[in-house]
Amino acid sequence: VAGIELPHKQWPELINSLLSNIHQVETHVKQGTLETLGYVCEEVDPQVVDQDQVNRILTAVVQGMNASTETSSEVRLAATRALYNALGFAQTNFTNDMERDYIMRVVCEATLSSDVKIRQAAFECLVAISSTYYEKLAPYMQDIFNITLKAVREDEEPVALQAIEFWSSICDEEIDILDDYRSEYTGDSEVPCFYFIKQALPALVPMLLETLLKQEEDQDQDEGAWNVAMAGGTCLGLVARTVGDDIVPLVMPFIEENISKPDWRRREAATYAFGSILEGPSPGKLAPIVNVALNFMLAALSRDPNNHVKDTTAWTLGRIFEFLHGAAVETSVITQENCQQILTVLLQSMKDVPNVAEKACGALYFLAQGYEDEGSVSPLTPFFQDIFQMLLFVTHREDATEKNLRTSAYEALNEVVRCSNDETAPIVMQLIPVIMLELHQTVEAQKLTSDERDKQNDLQGLLCGCLQVIIQKMGSIEGSKYAFMQYADQIMDLLLKVFASRNATVHEEAMLAIGALAYTAGPNFAKYMPQFYQYLEMGLQNFEEYQICAITVGVVGDLCRALEDKILPYCDGIMTQLLKNLSSNQLHRSVKPPIFSCFGDIALAIGENFEKYLVYAMPMLQSAAELSAHVVSQDDDMLEYTNQLRNGILEAYSGILQGFKSSPKTQALVPYAAHVLQFIDTMYGGREMDDAVMKSALGVLGDLADTLGSHVGPLISQSSSSKDLIEECMVYDDPLIRESAEWAKLAINRAVSG
Amino acid sequence: MAPPPEHRRPIKRAAISDQQRRREVALRLQADRRSDAQNRARQLASSVLSLGHEPETEPEVE
Repeated sequence: VAGIELPHKQWPELINSLLSNIHQVETHVKQGTLETLGYVCEEVDPQVVDQDQVNRILTAVVQGMNASTETSSEVRLAATRALYNALGFAQTNFTNDMERDYIMRVVCEATLSSDVKIRQAAFECLVAISSTYYEKLAPYMQDIFNITLKAVREDEEPVALQAIEFWSSICDEEIDILDDYRSEYTGDSEVPCFYFIKQALPALVPMLLETLLKQEEDQDQDEGAWNVAMAGGTCLGLVARTVGDDIVPLVMPFIEENISKPDWRRREAATYAFGSILEGPSPGKLAPIVNVALNFMLAALSRDPNNHVKDTTAWTLGRIFEFLHGAAVETSVITQENCQQILTVLLQSMKDVPNVAEKACGALYFLAQGYEDEGSVSPLTPFFQDIFQMLLFVTHREDATEKNLRTSAYEALNEVVRCSNDETAPIVMQLIPVIMLELHQTVEAQKLTSDERDKQNDLQGLLCGCLQVIIQKMGSIEGSKYAFMQYADQIMDLLLKVFASRNATVHEEAMLAIGALAYTAGPNFAKYMPQFYQYLEMGLQNFEEYQICAITVGVVGDLCRALEDKILPYCDGIMTQLLKNLSSNQLHRSVKPPIFSCFGDIALAIGENFEKYLVYAMPMLQSAAELSAHVVSQDDDMLEYTNQLRNGILEAYSGILQGFKSSPKTQALVPYAAHVLQFIDTMYGGREMDDAVMKSALGVLGDLADTLGSHVGPLISQSSSSKDLIEECMVYDDPLIRESAEWAKLAINRAVSG
Repeated sequence: MAPPPEHRRPIKRAAISDQQRRREVALRLQADRRSDAQNRARQLASSVLSLGHEPETEPEVE
């Protein structure tokens, strides 16, 4: 209730009356009051509460935590949990050294409480402080390090997990800051990096390595498992991403010492440590080590007696392929020579227990990904048949639904298809009837229990996803496109049947596959439209599962490009639905920019036939333009969304203008020109356009001049953006922006002079 | 046992699923194809525009 009423200043006495309870002698009243204050802080925006009240809340909470004045551990626990929620209110207090010192001292003392729940809650506060007040932490880091070290080594698991989380959270902060440093806005990061992780490294890494030895026997069998070893490994991975090369010499001795030990825990911990540090350090630093380790890893995956070790080994191999192999890596650790051995071991491991087989599929996924841009010299080529055979075998294993195994096998299959080429396309083509048969069997299956239906839906989604990838690939290889099209009727027939399923993921996957098919089939897709249209409309109406709606909007674009004016008979229905979607408050906002872009696709496809929609579409575009041009972005998300919206609007204008080009109905657009120019002028004045918006805006300026010519010449001459924006963009780094600027200038010169 | 913090990458799992990747690839391809279609229309217009300039330059040549 407070969450609703306080922002409207409708319950002003609430906090004061709660605070007056704090001086009650009765423990349960104090405890209840602190809990309520905590809940209020959790629900209410910090800006709603004035600083005086914040001060009094924090004083009450921190006093409640203080072990020297508060004897009841229930009250201290309630106070510590309340502080966790109240930290967001303490911005001002954290800028005051004395107040901050006091809060930090009380929190640190609470981490040493005799009550485990208080210790856990206090560490949770430290984690929250680490992300909210990173830049204020420097004076406390030495103490916090000692506290966390003790907790990780000696305390109970829930406390140790939070202590590790503190360091993971610091890594998150420093990774973000360092990313900012590296990005084009160098030096713009508001918070400086204090390099806490780099400084703590010599002591932090040994502590994390110790945690890796605390594995649970069956943690790989339990989906929701989370323990000290897992948290420690995750943190080690984050540390590696934060400090890069510096971590390698600190971890290598641990790996070398333990990787061959008789105790499986030591072998697993060493392997896990190795896998964890593969992202972050430079390939140059890691490659020599990986070259030595690769054979050892392959042998361990084949022969280690322990499943947990094999699981981690297969995962580590996957990480090696992910980070040290592929077009972006200068010298891949995979060569023509070792590729065959790697594949032999991976394919063999796919017959292992489900969790190991699943990791082997994952490793193959990354191995294949490295060859996606390879052209025709992929060393995988000779093995395509064997790979497909084994992956299909895995999907048919009786235990394929365990440990995500079937999903991993299909994902690996997709990735291998993605890296196919002219030479291997015929083998991919042979997959089509196999996948179609599987899909056929799923649509025919009847009278299923709800558990069986869930599994059936998962499988249908995977099969549609696989078809989508195959269609995309075969459509992109010129020599295979025509051979592929012989299957189009059957594929379409099956995909339409799949829509009978009530499952959102299945619908989305089928829709994506149909979009790919439309692009590949081109104008020939028209014959499927009478049957498909009802599902297209259904997708556009699906507000609840907005992902489906977004994908369907995208498919309308695919259809426009494939069918061109043959989409005309369906446009009344599509436009009605798209306009309804734009007017709806229920539809997720992320779908709205693509709907505007889709107007452009439709207009470009049907040309002057778009005229009858102008009276509806243009006012929508104008009011959205007005709104998005004047947005003062409060945060990055809002700025990104605003730019997406602007881009969608501009793409709509471009499509409409281009669609009307050379038509006798061009005049119909003249009344809108002034508003379009004003929109671009306002955005240009606001200086918050991203590159995509800039490029689209240049496009619209050119299209406006090109389509409307002398009708808009004088208007364009008066527009500030037409001159200044274009001049500015003519000397831009991005060649696409320069080209767009040149095109716009050419078109405008002609319009103005003509 | 405490559950893992939600934002932590699930242990030993890929950062994004292939399904998410398929979705992103489809959206990217759609955006690229839209931009290609619009650029094609502009190239066509550019060639017409440059042709249109020819008569103006011809007298100078003569």
